[in-house]
Amino acid sequence: MPESATSLSREVKDVFERCAKAVVKIEATDQHGELSGTGFFVDPTGTLYTAYSVGGEADNVTVEFKGRKYPARQLLADLRSGIAMLKVDLASPALPIGSSDQLEIATPVVAIGYPLDLAETPSFGMIAGFDRKCFGGYFPTKHLRVNLPPQRGEGGAPLLNLKGEVVGILLYTFENNSCYALPIEAAEKIRSDFVRFGEPKHGWIGANVAEASAPVEGSRAVTKDIMKDTPAAESGMKQGDIVLQIGRTKVHEPEDILDASFFLTAGDVVPITVMRGNEKLTFNVEAAGSRAPLLAAPSLNNRAMPLNLQSSPERTP
Amino acid sequence: MDEFNDNEITKLLRLKRYEQPPPGYFENFLHEFHRRQRDELLREPLWRICVGRARDFAFSFNLSTLTSYPAAVTAVLVCAAVISLRIYQTPQPATVAAKDRPVLVVPASTEPEWTLASPVATRVFNTRPLGNMTKSARTHRSGTPRYVLDSVPVSYETTFKF
Repeated sequence: MPESATSLSREVKDVFERCAKAVVKIEATDQHGELSGTGFFVDPTGTLYTAYSVGGEADNVTVEFKGRKYPARQLLADLRSGIAMLKVDLASPALPIGSSDQLEIATPVVAIGYPLDLAETPSFGMIAGFDRKCFGGYFPTKHLRVNLPPQRGEGGAPLLNLKGEVVGILLYTFENNSCYALPIEAAEKIRSDFVRFGEPKHGWIGANVAEASAPVEGSRAVTKDIMKDTPAAESGMKQGDIVLQIGRTKVHEPEDILDASFFLTAGDVVPITVMRGNEKLTFNVEAAGSRAPLLAAPSLNNRAMPLNLQSSPERTP
Repeated sequence: MDEFNDNEITKLLRLKRYEQPPPGYFENFLHEFHRRQRDELLREPLWRICVGRARDFAFSFNLSTLTSYPAAVTAVLVCAAVISLRIYQTPQPATVAAKDRPVLVVPASTEPEWTLASPVATRVFNTRPLGNMTKSARTHRSGTPRYVLDSVPVSYETTFKF
């Protein structure tokens, strides 16, 4: 075996030995019967991540840890991101959180899961892409396409870099020997919402974006509609504005909106920079909560989400 | 009373001693009483008569006794429902302990359950209240579970709205 392969194998083995103790098998019952999946601890008090399909709509959840089964309760289930958070009342090991932003195509990664009714199993692969669209629809945010062979039962497994840090959560299989993982930043956004508000707080401002015929300042994302009585309308955004940046996310094309939108939190103020004609404007917009109440009952706007919006935009030099 | 002395009262009683009611008076007394009562009633409006009859009918029964019957019937029905639900939800005895299964045994007939396009991936996106799941965390499982790894996302973004 070449030395580099031996070295890589040693690294994978090291990651597996260090991290497998924080990966657990989850068993539960849902409306279709009994199910089995994977999860992993992210703090020493027994909080763990798993896939929505494992812990999102299930009852009688148990976590197998060190050969014993413990009852788990659901902290949150977020359909948009596709994850669930569970809690087991025990002192647990925890996997360190990494950064998916540092991943590149062909970066090696390791997944640890419980396939079928087998013991914890490592899978080795590499990052194959960063996709926003697949299966005929758009992901809520960029997903990691990973070339590693996933098996049934590994939904909710951690995707680790070779430092043993979590960079994603394995959610969907894709063709053969390939799968999709939610970037860990997206999961941490949901966990942050839970810590702050007790539930996921997806934000929304009420703008619809389409592709502009020509790029302006490097962006092709043009606001097609500004919905009435929404934070976007109240802030002064108008149809035809070219969106350049939302928070820290630079926008180049309409698909970039997905990433920016996912990380909006209801109640938080986000600066949105647009080009209107030759003017660069920045609006500070307080994101609203869910879309449905806004559209269904506009009269509740002021009660549900105070629109402390800056009425006149800042002029950006 | 002052204008009558004892003598006058005595005279009056002596005279009254010879007064007699007409023949059949006592025999018809009850009949006459009821007739006059009906006449009195018929002078009232019809609605008041109906209300009175209804009230009399209702009070002719012991209400406290009557109310206990529906309560008893309701209690029996509730008990029957609870007992039947518990019987229905009692788990079947576990024949296989998942922890102890050393080898995966999958009958050929279970293969459809193992398809990647499992029902989980295509279910309706209903949201239910988040519940505490510790109350019935039974560890015994029966049969082969569904090993979860979705083939499609549980949700999609529809458009570039934000």
